[in-house]
Amino acid sequence: MTRYLLSRVGQAALVLWAAFTAGYILLQLLPGDSVLIKFQNPELGLSPEQIAEIRAYYSGGNPPLVDYLHTLLGFARGSFGYSIDTGTPVVERLAEALPETAKLASAGFLLAVLIALVIAFAAGYSRTSWIRGALLSMPSLFVSVPVFWLGIVLIQVFSFRLGLVPVIGGSPAQQLILPVLTLAVPISAPIAQVLARSIDQVYTQPFVPVVAAKGASRWWILWRHVARNAVLPTLTMAGLTIGELIAGSVVTETVFGRNGIGRLTEQAVNAQDTPVMLAIVVLAATVFVLVNLVIDLLFPVLDPRLEVAA
Amino acid sequence: MSSSTPRSTIAAGVAMLTVVGLLGACGGGGGPVQQASTDGKPVYGGTLTYLEHQPPTCLYLPAAGFYPNGGILNQITDKLTWQNPKTLEIEPWIATKWEVGKDATEYTFHLRDGVTFSDGTPLDAEAVAANFDVYGLGDDKLKLPVAEFVNNYKRSEVVDRLTVKFFFDKPSPGFLQGTSVIGAGLVSKKTISLPYEEQCQLKNIAGSGPFTVKNQVIDKQIDLAARKDYNWAPKSSQHQGRAYLDEIKVIVTPEDNVRVGALTSGQADFVRYVQAYDEETVKSAGHTIYAEPTRGVNNGLYLRPGNSILKDLDVRKALQAGTDAKEVVDTLFTPSYPLATSVLSHLAQGYVDLSKELAYDPAKANALLDKAGWVRGADGIRAKDSVKLQLGVFIAGPQPLSKQTLELIGQQWAKLGVKLEIRPADAGTQAVDIKNAEKTALAHTMVGRADQDVIKSQFHSENRDVILSQDEKLDRLLEQESAEPDTAARNAKVAEIQRYVIEQGYTIPLFEEPQVYGGAPHVHGVAFEAVARPAFYSAWKSNQD
Amino acid sequence: MNRPKIGLVLAWLVIGVALLWAVVPGVFTGHDPIAGVPAEKLQAPSGQHLFGTDAVGRDLFARVVHGAVHSLSGAFVAVGVGLLLGTLLGLLAGSAGGLLDDAIMRFVDVLLSVPGLLLALTVIILLGPGTVNVAIAVGIGSVAAFARLSRAEVVRVRRTDYVEAAFGSGGRYTTVLRRHVLPNSLGPVIALAALQFGLAILAISTLGFLGYGAEPPTPEWGLLISEGRNYLATSWWLTSLPGAVVVSVVLAAGRISRSLGADLGKDRA
Repeated sequence: MTRYLLSRVGQAALVLWAAFTAGYILLQLLPGDSVLIKFQNPELGLSPEQIAEIRAYYSGGNPPLVDYLHTLLGFARGSFGYSIDTGTPVVERLAEALPETAKLASAGFLLAVLIALVIAFAAGYSRTSWIRGALLSMPSLFVSVPVFWLGIVLIQVFSFRLGLVPVIGGSPAQQLILPVLTLAVPISAPIAQVLARSIDQVYTQPFVPVVAAKGASRWWILWRHVARNAVLPTLTMAGLTIGELIAGSVVTETVFGRNGIGRLTEQAVNAQDTPVMLAIVVLAATVFVLVNLVIDLLFPVLDPRLEVAA
Repeated sequence: MSSSTPRSTIAAGVAMLTVVGLLGACGGGGGPVQQASTDGKPVYGGTLTYLEHQPPTCLYLPAAGFYPNGGILNQITDKLTWQNPKTLEIEPWIATKWEVGKDATEYTFHLRDGVTFSDGTPLDAEAVAANFDVYGLGDDKLKLPVAEFVNNYKRSEVVDRLTVKFFFDKPSPGFLQGTSVIGAGLVSKKTISLPYEEQCQLKNIAGSGPFTVKNQVIDKQIDLAARKDYNWAPKSSQHQGRAYLDEIKVIVTPEDNVRVGALTSGQADFVRYVQAYDEETVKSAGHTIYAEPTRGVNNGLYLRPGNSILKDLDVRKALQAGTDAKEVVDTLFTPSYPLATSVLSHLAQGYVDLSKELAYDPAKANALLDKAGWVRGADGIRAKDSVKLQLGVFIAGPQPLSKQTLELIGQQWAKLGVKLEIRPADAGTQAVDIKNAEKTALAHTMVGRADQDVIKSQFHSENRDVILSQDEKLDRLLEQESAEPDTAARNAKVAEIQRYVIEQGYTIPLFEEPQVYGGAPHVHGVAFEAVARPAFYSAWKSNQD
Repeated sequence: MNRPKIGLVLAWLVIGVALLWAVVPGVFTGHDPIAGVPAEKLQAPSGQHLFGTDAVGRDLFARVVHGAVHSLSGAFVAVGVGLLLGTLLGLLAGSAGGLLDDAIMRFVDVLLSVPGLLLALTVIILLGPGTVNVAIAVGIGSVAAFARLSRAEVVRVRRTDYVEAAFGSGGRYTTVLRRHVLPNSLGPVIALAALQFGLAILAISTLGFLGYGAEPPTPEWGLLISEGRNYLATSWWLTSLPGAVVVSVVLAAGRISRSLGADLGKDRA
């Protein structure tokens, strides 16, 4: 077990380092120039020489390899450098944005699981074939709608037309409602399908007719046998939807004008603010790797049938 | 896994159509709006929710021309003088009176006593001198660039605690107006001695304005609070003392439809950048549209003679004649956007009506292109020596409906056999390519400022230089204009420049760009400086309990 | 279920029509998608203009029909890039095994760990904007999914008796790979490709929303939806009708993909 643990942690660290390095190289290749983007405003009247000076101030003027090691060391110590766009430490910007996105993403994921459960169980419980069919086609519809479009329609209908939820002002909880819904809808789809498949599998089990004959209700069978079997696939999906949650938050936060990692990503990309972009890549990779590591480590605990494959 | 039945697919489709139908049926709705029961007497207190289109960028004062920056800086800084937006006269503010020396090479300002910055330091002659030394000369060590509203600046002299004198190398007639513009906001000596990077950050700006920064979430929200001890409004202002509002919440809301929807549904009080097609929505919901003129160089296309195709005067004149600005305005805009009749807005100083020279004449355009040797190819695009008549332009983020405008002009030019290559504006590519006349043959832009110097800002090769000018004659004309002390002679020079720029085909003016704001019916007293940046000092809300 | 699958027939019909739009748009509409009649701007849907007109007076239906070729070829390129690179990586990893397998799959992990949208945005900036570059960027985001799936399939097929036998009887490595492993592991990969086809259309439209779309006046579907959104309160058809078209096509692609054996959960789990 310890060897398994160590090897998984080692692999995780390797993936992180590789993500950092890939990100670093990719961002070095960008043709744009964040200093130029920020300081070209004609009202500032900066001469090309002055801009060159500012650029030198930011880059430190080290050769690439030294700069790479320097940056890597900085990241290892938790110092991500300065945002060129705002001149503030990247850590500050991340610290401001992260809690917002964490709230949005975690609430979004929970709601997605809830929606998925409702769809899958209702479909599993239903005996009417067309209702069942309609329910099972919901996930496909959910992933077929562009997220930004969904968000805008939700705002128009629920906030502006019906006046149910404010998008400007309002309590933090109120402000979360529509963004969370927007984020949850597409993410609920794959989870609902995984759950629905688990339910189908339960029904094909030979023991089902037996317990049914003994008088167990459909509901009881579903609950008793599916819930247990569904935990693992749902957990796996959780790990894999991290990337989608972040991608979804880019769009959601832009539509709803929320501050967060997603909006920061969009702004950093637009301003080619490479220190911020690199930090976001590493942050996303860290979350992804950590969540999947935890899930991998949880698997043997939750499911004793799985052998530890070191 | 069971397959979805046809009925379920239909059901899903119906669900989608219902949403669409709901939107359609409710088009233009917004519910009855509570009419403000106002007896016209301002009340103190309340928070104004103001929705901005973009986050502020760098808040170094001379960079305040960018509207999101100006919207903040106008509330937290004061200027030496105040330009009455109706008469365009310069009136006293922090300076109670002033003398202009002969030839406009010397200015003396007498300051109001008892004014303080928000960091507690006094606004005195020394502080003012420190401000203008930077705005006029820049500071290489601190990387502070010269401001575009100060020309020919030499030095300052502190005469006594409340008197400051400025000297100029050459006549600088625009300087008095220059002290009233948004970029000439006064900041404390501590602020002005910070390096550029730090002056860019809002938290470091200490002004003497009626509001101070209470809280900032970068790129998202700025909370401004009224300064209780504020007592130095411009002399001609009816309202004196502290601001009526307690607080202003500036919230960045990039989505156009969210800003307008939030206003009409009562979630916001005031919004900037209402698009032309939304004006009717705002009005029909009982709200007010404020279309404020910017009095400067018109929104238009600026043609770069450095481009290998546009270096030919005939081609530039052909494009000028072949562009139907009226169709652009009629199709995409509203009466808030008057059709351009010259390089400058009809409200600008020195404006001259050149609508005859700018008449739409496609026959002339075609003739000019034929004459220049551009022959139509099989695809309808003209070519010469196997080079296609194809010109690149970036969609201009800050210009209203830039993309639609360019698409429409692209349609018009296609009829002439000219291909307009419209590029989406990602900041990175744009920063690199915008200064390259070969890749970016045209610029879609405008600039606002209520002084004759505005035309120099736009065209001089050392200012904005939108046409990447290689025209020494133009530079010389602009320099003569900015150094001419006599107003009548200066206006005549401005007229000469307008004629020259049109003659040379450097620009295709489209419309006089306003800043369009939407305000709730319970918001009163919002004022605008001469170039349409809002001032919330006298604003108040009548819907308070 | 032995009923005729009308849903599936409908899905093929939708895809078929969309493909015809791309190939012979002129058959479906006589209006010009680029040059409009400014005087006829912002008209609601009618017999004259099925989907109404836009702010410049262009017929929206014509724009949707003529946009098919841009959107569909964009999606094809995206899937092509993902399929080609992903399958290649997966095939290599699965058949080589050992250290190379480990190295490739860790690389795929890295790709998976970076959010697809961020990767796509970076790639666009790197390559510059434009329809093809956007499609390539979206495709690179799906490389990981294809790599994982194809590796799993290769590993499964390799273990089957006849492939073992083919190796045993002295078949050359590449020959066995080409003749036995590749064809047998292709089914699920094609199903995933159909699914990714729909997702690519969505991803391209999302990038259009973020301002990294095709060059105007190209009537690309994602761009139509994302630009029309600003008119939602005043001219609902501008975003809703292209939106409905995209949703139908993506739904259809998903339905076809499921009939080929994939589902949303499977490629990720």
